[in-house]
Amino acid sequence: MSDDTTARRDGAPAEGAAPSRPRRAWSPRTPVTPERAFRFSPRTMGITVGLFALGYLALAFQMPDYTAVSVPVQPSTLPRWLGVALLALAVLLFFQRAPEQEAAAGSAAPGSGDGTPTAGGDTEASATEGTDAEGTDGAQSDGERSGGAPSEGGEPRLGRLDDPRLEIGLFVAALVAYVALFEPLGFILSTALYLGSMTWYLGYPRHLVNAVVALVLPFAFYAGMTWGLDVTLPSGPLPF
Amino acid sequence: MGMLDFLNIDQLMYGFGIALTPENLLYVFIGVLAGTIIGMLPGLGPMSAIALMIPIAYGMDPTSAIIMLAGVYYGAIFGGSTSSILLNAPGVAGTVATSFDGYPMALKGQAGKALAIAAICSFVGGTVSVVGLMAIAPVLASFAVSFGPVEYFALMVLGLTAVVSLGGRNLVKGLISAVVGVMIALVGIDSQTAIVRFTFDLPELYEGVEFLIVALGVFALAEVLVMLNQRGKGGVRKGVTSLRLSRREVGQITGPALRSSVLGFFTGVLPGAGATVASFLSYSMEKKIARDGDTFGQGNPKGVAAPEAANNAAAVGSFVPLMTLGVPGSGTTAILLGALMVLGVQPGPMMLSDNPGMFWGVVASMYIGSVVLLILNLPLIPLFAKVLNTPRTMLVPLVVVFCVVGVYGLSFSVFDLGLLAAFGAIGFLMRRNEFPAAPLILGLILGGLMETNMRRALQISDGAWSVFLTEPISAGLLAVAVLSMLPALLRVLRRRHTPVVPAGAAGAATVADTADAPASTEEALVGAENGSAEVSGDRTGTGSTTAAGSEGEPGEQAPPRD
Repeated sequence: MSDDTTARRDGAPAEGAAPSRPRRAWSPRTPVTPERAFRFSPRTMGITVGLFALGYLALAFQMPDYTAVSVPVQPSTLPRWLGVALLALAVLLFFQRAPEQEAAAGSAAPGSGDGTPTAGGDTEASATEGTDAEGTDGAQSDGERSGGAPSEGGEPRLGRLDDPRLEIGLFVAALVAYVALFEPLGFILSTALYLGSMTWYLGYPRHLVNAVVALVLPFAFYAGMTWGLDVTLPSGPLPF
Repeated sequence: MGMLDFLNIDQLMYGFGIALTPENLLYVFIGVLAGTIIGMLPGLGPMSAIALMIPIAYGMDPTSAIIMLAGVYYGAIFGGSTSSILLNAPGVAGTVATSFDGYPMALKGQAGKALAIAAICSFVGGTVSVVGLMAIAPVLASFAVSFGPVEYFALMVLGLTAVVSLGGRNLVKGLISAVVGVMIALVGIDSQTAIVRFTFDLPELYEGVEFLIVALGVFALAEVLVMLNQRGKGGVRKGVTSLRLSRREVGQITGPALRSSVLGFFTGVLPGAGATVASFLSYSMEKKIARDGDTFGQGNPKGVAAPEAANNAAAVGSFVPLMTLGVPGSGTTAILLGALMVLGVQPGPMMLSDNPGMFWGVVASMYIGSVVLLILNLPLIPLFAKVLNTPRTMLVPLVVVFCVVGVYGLSFSVFDLGLLAAFGAIGFLMRRNEFPAAPLILGLILGGLMETNMRRALQISDGAWSVFLTEPISAGLLAVAVLSMLPALLRVLRRRHTPVVPAGAAGAATVADTADAPASTEEALVGAENGSAEVSGDRTGTGSTTAAGSEGEPGEQAPPRD
């Protein structure tokens, strides 16, 4: 994650369009803007891909040869070439220029100027959200968000957490929980639970509609798949 | 009539006989409708649309299945134009160019007109292009029948490099995607020697990684995660107004529509160049030709007509390499190929002689699909526009459930659901860091075929690797593969030597980097299918922005001109 800090520092001029924005970039609890989250420097990516290639090569060279009949291409031939190619590409990636440098070079260009107000606006929006979150320590009640504070798009903002990294992490965790409960609870219950809670969590304001969709849709799906297409989904504790 | 012999009228009639069965008519209808709706949702492109529809195609008759999936493809491209025009947020990279003039038209209160032009020109593009498909495909197939494993291996290398080199501005990242795709393809029990590769002793992996899991994860699930990361921001919504076109306007768009259809078709036939490249090429061509070229970007109907005709023509054109060579020319057709292989169909030069019903049925269904698209879309546009109101707070979990059901219905394995989540995360990280996803999918689909053909070729040549360079066709294809990477390579070198990047390119790159509009990141992903994703980043706001975005880039971003 140290890369994110440097990334933000480098990218600061590009984001600086919002004049009243507090200098949150230096505080340790700074939420990362969506533009910066999950972006890594070519070095980090190069090292990651390179390590993967090395591991792959190690496996490829441990692979047994096929000796029953003489074959010109062993099962390990192509993997070894692929591993070498990937390693070479990883080295090339490592030495690439960081996109931030290019961004800084291009920030004077007319095209980029158009994007910045939006970015700044978003940061401000998340800043106000952030003060809320700090007060209640993330455990916001439903009422605070139910209005679904429309962003510029006229649509409610997705999610509740300030830091997109946490938000994505939470979303993936919810997906994993859904998958884990898929067979024990059965399709209908696990899907109803997942749909209802995620739609509510992401900020859909009409709870009754949400409840109806979350209950009716899994059942319709189940009926269509199991009885219509003969694809049996897990039933779980439900009797049908 | 004699003049039209080359169009194989008899076979076409035979094809219509297949496509017009009530069952297949229904599938065309379902496909086009589903494609239009999914393509309209900002964030979900044709690749996601097809991947999401594959589970439904399982168990169907292969001909019906590909008829439906083809309908999804051109339906999705059409649907993308609706969100381009109304929201300035293209659901599909191929319709980014449409938004340059379509959105200004909507701002001027001519949204209905723009949508009508888009629908009509899509129809023209699709129809013109199907004629081309009928004329070219049999010729190409009869030529490709003589291809042996050596030529096929070279052809697949060309297919991969073409998608990589046209797919984005970063050659290295594209190649990494392609190599990793081939690596995933090799997981499982080796079909020739029965040696187990890269399974980590997990029996679930013995059969290899199912392509649908990767496709749904890397496209649909990753797009959902990107939406979440962007907090679901969208453009400004505009109502739909009258769809009526004046006679003058019809006359105005006829020329651009026809020219762009032809251009789009040939662009689509080229490996690697898909609907997006075609739409940008035709947009810049019409801008140069038109006497009122300077009003492009301010709501000129020709600027809507040209890219719309071209992207639909290219979608049909990209079926030529898929159906005659069995080698997909784009990420989207790669997903289609994967779907076909799962259904037990191996497209290729033999398909026309072995399975003519499928080929001509699909061709005929494209005519029907174009008509359905037109009938469906003109009257239903106001209704469809409501689809755009689907709240993303509900859309996001729904797409996840679709993916989960699709994967589970295929394998009944929770392990595969875990893989789905993993590939979703990988796809998301790839998109955030501008690794194109299409080469990954293409590598995954071509990887197994590539190894098989490589083995056969070397078996024949007694292990002499030089065979790939001594056979003329193979040597030629490999040379084109290397050449196709040259422009991208030169760009890399030039960038390294000159510290200041040319203004346009740098600007586009910056915006794509910050990636604030949901559309622009999605471009970065879908960008693989096309060349010109970067440009889209510019159209976040006002009309002047749009004009700026359309200024120089289209020509510059479209590399396949050599």
